[in-house]
Amino acid sequence: MADPRLKSIGDLLARQGILIAFAIFLVGFAVFSDRFLTPENLETVIRQAAIIGVMAIGVTVVVIGGNLDLSVGSMLSFSTVLVVDLHDKIGPELAIIVMLAATLVLGAINGFLVGVARLNSLIVTLGMLSAIQGLTLIYTGGKNVDILDQETTWFAIFGRGHILGIATPILMFLGLALFMHVVMAYTPFGRRVYAVGGNPTAAVFSGIRRSRLVFSTYLISAFTTGIAALILGSRVMGSQNNVGQGYELLVLAGVILGGTSLLGGSGNILKTVIGVLILGFIQNGLLLMGFPYYAQWLVTWVVIILAVWLDIAAKRGRLLSPIA
Amino acid sequence: MTLKLAAALVATTALIGASGAAQAETYKIGITQNNVGVDSYQTTYEKAFIAAADENENVEAVVLDAGGDVARQIAQIQDLIQQNVDAIIIWPTNGKAVVPAVRKAHQAGIPVIVTNSNIAEEGLQFIASFSGPDNITQGARSAELMCEALDGKGKIVQISGQPGYTTAIERAKGFEDRLPEVCPDVELMETQPGDWNREKSQRVMESFLVKYDQIDGVYAGDDNMGVGALNAAKAAGRAGDIAFVGATNFAVGYEAMARGEYYGSIYQSPVDDAEAALKTALDVLAGKDVPALNYFDTPKITKANMDEFDKPVF
Repeated sequence: MADPRLKSIGDLLARQGILIAFAIFLVGFAVFSDRFLTPENLETVIRQAAIIGVMAIGVTVVVIGGNLDLSVGSMLSFSTVLVVDLHDKIGPELAIIVMLAATLVLGAINGFLVGVARLNSLIVTLGMLSAIQGLTLIYTGGKNVDILDQETTWFAIFGRGHILGIATPILMFLGLALFMHVVMAYTPFGRRVYAVGGNPTAAVFSGIRRSRLVFSTYLISAFTTGIAALILGSRVMGSQNNVGQGYELLVLAGVILGGTSLLGGSGNILKTVIGVLILGFIQNGLLLMGFPYYAQWLVTWVVIILAVWLDIAAKRGRLLSPIA
Repeated sequence: MTLKLAAALVATTALIGASGAAQAETYKIGITQNNVGVDSYQTTYEKAFIAAADENENVEAVVLDAGGDVARQIAQIQDLIQQNVDAIIIWPTNGKAVVPAVRKAHQAGIPVIVTNSNIAEEGLQFIASFSGPDNITQGARSAELMCEALDGKGKIVQISGQPGYTTAIERAKGFEDRLPEVCPDVELMETQPGDWNREKSQRVMESFLVKYDQIDGVYAGDDNMGVGALNAAKAAGRAGDIAFVGATNFAVGYEAMARGEYYGSIYQSPVDDAEAALKTALDVLAGKDVPALNYFDTPKITKANMDEFDKPVF
């Protein structure tokens, strides 16, 4: 450890490990597939990653605040089913309003139980995961829902449209990420979330109203899930009852890959964006190379373990713990 | 689920009370389904089964649902044996794990009819009959449709159902075996699973479109995934060059077919499926000669003949 060059490499890995990994993946896949680095493919990947990405923005805020939100997968199913089903019944405008309101109510329930009642967030949101799935099935009776008039509805803009030549899901994803990044990094609200997540006791003693803050982080993750449902519903123009099944883990994987600590108090929205994009590129790259898409689960796991390990190793200056 | 079970029990008790008055021979038939409510097909199936059982005054049905849980299904089979029903119809949640319970019913002298998707091979000796669609033939018919659509020449991709599902495996096998027989000049370039999920299928197709400059046809394991692929191709402006062939005609597939965007599919009605299961059970009980594999017909559907079929309810 005496060599200062070694130390600086460790520093670099610790600070920008995620960006380095990102670059390695891009180069690696580009070598194996000549289709990988084409503009069409890059657009496809970011567009596909937008749904997970938008959700991950909200979940990052919850995690920085020191909690988890595992309910977002079935919340996505519920919200997508709701907005698609209501589209033909009450028109797209009202459908969107009702869906966002209903989604926020679900977020408020999470927020109340975790923030105000102070129940363990893992238990609350894991319970909500299956409760909301049940709610969705009761709502539809198991039927798929579809939008009949797919060609003319303006609802198509969210998932299929382009604004100024850029796909709308990409604009929504990156726009929301930038906005939330500014909120978290430069506003008192953002600083309070970091404070509550990092040291709840100290935060409370310095006058932060913890219950209200945690409550609002769950409203944010419900809101971003509602936006993701808009993109998903519009992209598919229909929905199955379990369309979001498993998304909670992909979202969490993106958040972790972005370096947000599950213990709360640290994290970065823009790095979550990179984390989600890495997941998207892994999936797309493996598909282009001809692997079945579930090979990504294995690769993703390896990448997450490496990311977390490198992060910790860089912090303590060695690979393995000094205590055996 | 518990509510439903309780409702079924109450209904059964009421039926038992009522059936005392009926003079003709009444069969008590128990059914344990896979996972009602998880998709429209199974939901419609249950409704159709109850309707068919209600219509037949000689049938008293005990309708149960395993909720996708194999342990619950095994318990339900044991309950039905305890109740001493005349026949048990089972929609396996897991083709292997239910075999011991099926054997128990067989030993108790209760004929077992398997519906929709068959149980594992080692269990076949314990069942009276299997009633359901022939997925291999469905795959083969889809291959014939694809051949027709492409005039015998072209490059295609396949989006299959969830890995490990019998239906997914059999349809892919039927398709892949039949295609070179009817159309040696149609090349299947790649197969990727779409998990019966429209959004996943859409994602897979988007990657196919990036990867291959020429795609003349897409075979999807069901119309839900086929329409996802169609969505992707439309967004890329390539839908006009591609023939889409599916299976299990869905309402969305039916509509896309009417618009001329979707070439063909296989018509499989959950109502036919449910009615065939009940009829097979009754035939077994009446001592008729029932084939071990009692398939109901699932015909090809294209724009040319689609007015002979009702639009699917799912």
